[in-house]
Formats: sequence, structure tokens, C-alpha cells
Amino acid sequence: MMETGQVCMKIAGRDAGKIAVIIEKLDQKFVIIDGQTRRRKCNIAHLEPLQKKLEINEKASHDEVKKAFKQIGIELKDKVKKEKKEKETEFSKGHAAEKGTKKKK
Amino acid sequence: MQGRYKSRTFRRTKKTTPGARKIQHYTKRKPKKQVCANCCSILSGIPRLNDTAMRNLAKTKKRPERPYGGVLCTTCMRAEMIKKARQIQL
Repeated sequence: MMETGQVCMKIAGRDAGKIAVIIEKLDQKFVIIDGQTRRRKCNIAHLEPLQKKLEINEKASHDEVKKAFKQIGIELKDKVKKEKKEKETEFSKGHAAEKGTKKKK
Repeated sequence: MQGRYKSRTFRRTKKTTPGARKIQHYTKRKPKKQVCANCCSILSGIPRLNDTAMRNLAKTKKRPERPYGGVLCTTCMRAEMIKKARQIQL
């Protein structure tokens, strides 16, 4: 049942409800999946198989999986890393930029 | 006893002083544990604090990080996901 190319949905964890495809089978319990979730190891008990099968090689790369999903009609979005912007606060400029000078009594 | 300590939102505890006297102290009660909306089993991952303390916490510290977190227990959530998976037509 659970072989490379089987499309399934995750039912447990923080990415539950997302669709993925099996890339490689490790043993009786674990497989490697990729798709709307991250590329990672997963327990077979946490997957529910759907009615389709994709034609992909074993250990396919992320781009090949993306092309195969487009033929069915599912689009995979890639995460874009945002650049961190530093906020300007009172303390970000340092001691030299304090307003006014302190007078010693 | 002061007037405001007569209400049942305060619980009465017994203590002994170093001088061997028995006195009564008044402490406030905590809210109850939250339960699943479907099967009424106790949910984990939700702190038992009053309204003002919960409002000052970050969003990720009040509930677990999964769909229906803080609403359904794990067994009920898995049953919902299996229902959804069987209705999908690709």
C-alpha cells in the first residue's frame, strides 16, 4: 500500500491536514515524505492514503516533486526568508547619541 | 473576618504559628482545567491562570501548536482529519 509515489495526507502533528507524497520507504514503520510539509521522516500510522499515485523516481528532488504535483492541480509554495530590519529605539544608537550632556554636580 | 473574605472565591487554609497558635489564612482559587469540546476529556498544554495573567502571555504559550489546538483532544482531532481526507477528490 505505502510505496513510493503514493499521495497521502498527514493526520497528526503541527502540519496535520497537509498533502504529501512518499519518496522513500525505510522499513516497516518509517517513510520519507515531501510536499506541502517539510522534507522529513514520518511514521506510517500518521498518514492517511488518498486515491492518487504520482510517477516519480526514488529519492526525487524537491523540484521534481513540484512538477509532479502541478499535473494533479496542487501548487506548492516555497517559503521566502525575510530580511531582519533593526528597529530604531533609544538604546540602538549607543551612548554617544544621548540627548544633551549630563552635568556633574 | 473582613467582609470581602466571606465570599466563596476565597478558600480557607489552616496554619500554625511559631508560637503554637492556630490561625486561618485566605487564598484565592485557580480556574478549572479546560476540556475537549467533543468528548470532555482534559486538555494538556493550557496553563491555569486568571484573565489578566493570560492576557500578558505570548500567543504560543497558551495552547499547543497544531490544528484545533486548545479546542479538541488528539484523538478527536485525528478523527476529523481522517473524515476530511476521505472527502477529498483529486
